[in-house]
Amino acid sequence: MGEHNTPDIHTRITERLRQIQYPGSQRDIVTLGLVGKVQVQADSVVVQIRASSIKEDVLRHLRGRITQELMTLPEVVHVHIHAFAAQSGQPHQGGQAGNQAVRERADIPGVRRILAVASGKGGVGKSTVAVNLTLALASLGHKVGLLDADIYGPSVPLMMGTDATPRAGQDKKIYPVEKYGVSLISMGFFLDDQSPVIWRGPIVMSIVRQFLRDVIWSELDYLVVDLPPGTGDIALTLAQEVPLHGGVVVTTPQDVALLDVQRGISMFKQVNVPLLGVIENMSFYECPVCHEREEVFGRGGAQKTGLKVLGAVPLVEEVRAGADAGKPVVVSAPDHPVAQEFFGIARQVVAAEEMQLPQSVH
Amino acid sequence: MPTPLLLTPIMEDQLLRVLWDDDTLNDYPFAYLRGWCPCAVCQGHGGERHFIKVENPQLVSIDMVGNYAVNPTWNDGHETGIYTYAYLRSLGQSQDHPHSHNNPEEPD
Repeated sequence: MGEHNTPDIHTRITERLRQIQYPGSQRDIVTLGLVGKVQVQADSVVVQIRASSIKEDVLRHLRGRITQELMTLPEVVHVHIHAFAAQSGQPHQGGQAGNQAVRERADIPGVRRILAVASGKGGVGKSTVAVNLTLALASLGHKVGLLDADIYGPSVPLMMGTDATPRAGQDKKIYPVEKYGVSLISMGFFLDDQSPVIWRGPIVMSIVRQFLRDVIWSELDYLVVDLPPGTGDIALTLAQEVPLHGGVVVTTPQDVALLDVQRGISMFKQVNVPLLGVIENMSFYECPVCHEREEVFGRGGAQKTGLKVLGAVPLVEEVRAGADAGKPVVVSAPDHPVAQEFFGIARQVVAAEEMQLPQSVH
Repeated sequence: MPTPLLLTPIMEDQLLRVLWDDDTLNDYPFAYLRGWCPCAVCQGHGGERHFIKVENPQLVSIDMVGNYAVNPTWNDGHETGIYTYAYLRSLGQSQDHPHSHNNPEEPD
């Protein structure tokens, strides 16, 4: 570049900033509209980055790159960058005037990953699977919580063998119930055994919201959410309220269950939640005397979903008895083959989730 | 599903700029975005989507909805529109002729 024909400092600053690509894109930060006002005062440059949905770590990277690029200009000694990462917070609490905030729905403090266990159809053993999966994850050394989002028919207290009342904390928060080393919350903890929950959608949704926001979950690697069957209000609220990191679908091998499981799968697809795979429950019955396998509900159903099959849990007495007695098979008989199957499922869930490989359906 | 990598409201130009994960870049002028609000308050239930003309709407804030949609809040307090990524993307592609794209069944 000839010295006698140097463009003005603003032009050269823009030129430098155009060298900076946005991570994951070929486009530069000027084109993206991220760069707002640029002011030059003597040997200092002040760069304003517009409020956007930018994540904290990307912003940190870009700050470094901007400083690096601008320092290559001989007259620049100081670079100041004014920027905001996307805010994390509850929706609709008013943005600041003149500063269009882009807000992420807040994560749950301390909770690293949220996994939803769903089924299109009732009676496939979804809660049994959720409970055992939760305990299997905990046995693998993870800190785990279980949120029973089946407000109308909570079964987690019975299956986990506790009807403790959650302790109240400060600011209307509640502590989860601890059992077998995992944290639990369920509508069942707040009800008599007999009283039915006869509520309309909006109330139920506010309960789910409270379970997410007003429970002191402390530090968790995984929060497993046991969804009610089907694709209704609760599932949608959960998908809107928090960023779900993965969905697992439970089914039985029979065709009629598969029909509904497809609905569960499309629900996760529509709300853009990575599907980690499908768990086939009551996969077969093994006669305890002659050890002959009987495929009561048919076979190969889970494969037909086109998703990764995370495991096939047989129909065995120990699973049913464990759930009814409040001692899930994973804790009561960890060496039993069916408990081992749950450990295998847990390992696969962790692997699928950590690799962030969403299973595509089509 | 195309997913936004970055959403940047640009006041000076009165638009929302969206970078998608396939590197597509779309601009959504505020009046355009507000006009195609998909909520039931604006659109009613059923029937074709139609454009709601609002004078000089200002974007106050925009919330991410789970992993699948965005939810803008406008200066008149309107905040019920949940734009799924797929819908937002279709609005971006059809900016010049929103009618033809959003109402494909509509005879001319």
